[in-house]
Amino acid sequence: MVMRIQGLKYDENNWIHRQVRLAAITVVAIAAFVAAWHVASVLADTPTVPSPGRTLDALINFYSYGDWSSGTQRTMFELIGSSMITFAKGFALALVVAVPLGLALGYFKIAREFTNPIIEVLRPIAPIAWAPIFIIILGSATGAMLVVFIGIFFPLLTNVIFGVRKIEANLLDASKTLGASQFQVFYKVIMPYTAPYLMNGVKVGLGVGWMCIVAAEMCAGTLVGVGKYLYDMAYSGNWPKAYAALVLIGVLGLLTIGVSDYVHRWVSRRMGMDA
Amino acid sequence: MTEDQTAIDVSEKAFAETVDSGSPGDGAHIAIRGLRKVFKRDKKETVALDDFSLDIRRGELVTLVGPSGCGKTTILKLIAGLIEPTSGEVLIGGRPCLRPGPDRGMVFQDFALFHWRSVRKNVEFGLEVAGVPRGDRRAEAERYIKLVGLEKFIDSRVYELSGGMKQRVGIARSLVTHPDVLLMDEPFGSLDAQTRNIMQVQLLKVLDETDQTIVFVTHSVDEAVFLSDRIIVLTKRPARIKEVIEVPWPKPRDRAAPEFTALRKRILSELEAENVMEG
Ligand SMILES: Nc1ncnc2c1ncn2[C@@H]1O[C@H](COP(=O)(O)OP(=O)(O)OP(=O)(O)O)[C@@H](O)[C@H]1O
Ligand SMILES: [Mg+2]
Repeated sequence: MVMRIQGLKYDENNWIHRQVRLAAITVVAIAAFVAAWHVASVLADTPTVPSPGRTLDALINFYSYGDWSSGTQRTMFELIGSSMITFAKGFALALVVAVPLGLALGYFKIAREFTNPIIEVLRPIAPIAWAPIFIIILGSATGAMLVVFIGIFFPLLTNVIFGVRKIEANLLDASKTLGASQFQVFYKVIMPYTAPYLMNGVKVGLGVGWMCIVAAEMCAGTLVGVGKYLYDMAYSGNWPKAYAALVLIGVLGLLTIGVSDYVHRWVSRRMGMDA
Repeated sequence: MTEDQTAIDVSEKAFAETVDSGSPGDGAHIAIRGLRKVFKRDKKETVALDDFSLDIRRGELVTLVGPSGCGKTTILKLIAGLIEPTSGEVLIGGRPCLRPGPDRGMVFQDFALFHWRSVRKNVEFGLEVAGVPRGDRRAEAERYIKLVGLEKFIDSRVYELSGGMKQRVGIARSLVTHPDVLLMDEPFGSLDAQTRNIMQVQLLKVLDETDQTIVFVTHSVDEAVFLSDRIIVLTKRPARIKEVIEVPWPKPRDRAAPEFTALRKRILSELEAENVMEG
């Protein structure tokens, strides 16, 4: 494809050219979306569909004055921080449980066969479906955290199991002929081999987990966070602020996935895969 | 010795002395006895080896040549203890070999390198698991990386290497622990002709300093004649010994010598007769 930027011919093999091209396309796409949204809000002409401009105002307002809805003032960053902490706890718990379990289930066939039916029944349940149960039994904070845990746990578990099972027999053979004990084979060969698969699980899990935290907060009575804020604003008919929260959630999710995607690629490269 | 194992003195004129081809029980380093290996999966059965016997002396370099798929890798893996024989046994120094161990190193046909480790760390692996201190480990690994000519790539990652370089990493990795027995599965198969010749000479140099026993698989008859104390010509699957050829000439050998080319020719025609290309 030939594109001219300031008299320059587009060169697919030039990194800067590729980045500029992608950035230009991205800006145009976002502008087109915002324009379409604006037109839709004008045509709809109802308070439930605020224009992008009013949404941006609400976002700036939220940023400047925080959230007053609960009676006490909370800054935007306190709400984000609160969501992030619940999110991080669920993530940490999922990591601590899913990684050893995945390694064990990948390694021991009988354990995998034994747990497989249970996992396959639990896995398709939407994580948010657990919210009412967890939140009612364990309270808002722990309940929401566990919803995030569920969301991250399964992608992590299945990816780790997959990684362990994919290991090439030859690598195991090679390490054995080099004198590695069973335990050394496990932690010097199987575990590093699995690392990129684990990171893929993390990447998928963080995306799912972020969806979970926002949804779980809505079911949680006493929790504060951006998801809860979105719910409160929509409930009280403050549509621009509800939409602003939606935009914020999207951007934060994008950042989360962006970071984990970067880490995933870094680990894969580091581990000599996918280079 | 089994019936189909015929020692042939190829050098009637130059080397008249009879050569001991290893008789059972007289302290052979590796004694392979009536080995049979059947790969079974549901109803599909592949007989890779059937009643295969061979004695290998300590310090000997024995080469297996034979048609593709005849069971050469299977023989090496059985000696390594990586797979179990269906029947028969492998004795190492008189003791049955049941599991892999650092006394038997192996160079894999498809390299089997740890792709998340650097060249250095791959070569160090055997020393690392044996608990050799870091400093000694590094020095030893460097020595063997130099030997295979990869010192410039010592900190490279495996994916940055060409096939031939990977193969040399695999060789260095197996040499560094000084195993008594070295099982080399087409170790020079991915190298260009020049590097291949250099590596052959290097290997002979290394072996000069040790009394390692080598079981070497190759598709290159030239290589077999250049390196071997004994060449075992195998039949199609299931591998049986078609012919055993003692090559008692001193090393390094002159590839242009008339007896060298004559022997090469003879083995080639043997193999061609065996191959009769299955389609
Ligand atoms: N794990 C296995 N399961 C089933 N069949 C196998 C297995 N390993 C080897 N075989 C079969 O056993 C036979 C011998 O295989 P082997 O790898 O020993 O041959 P080879 O002589 O090393 O061949 P090449 O020269 O191509 O490397 C082949 O027919 C192969 O398909
Ligand atoms: Mg083979």
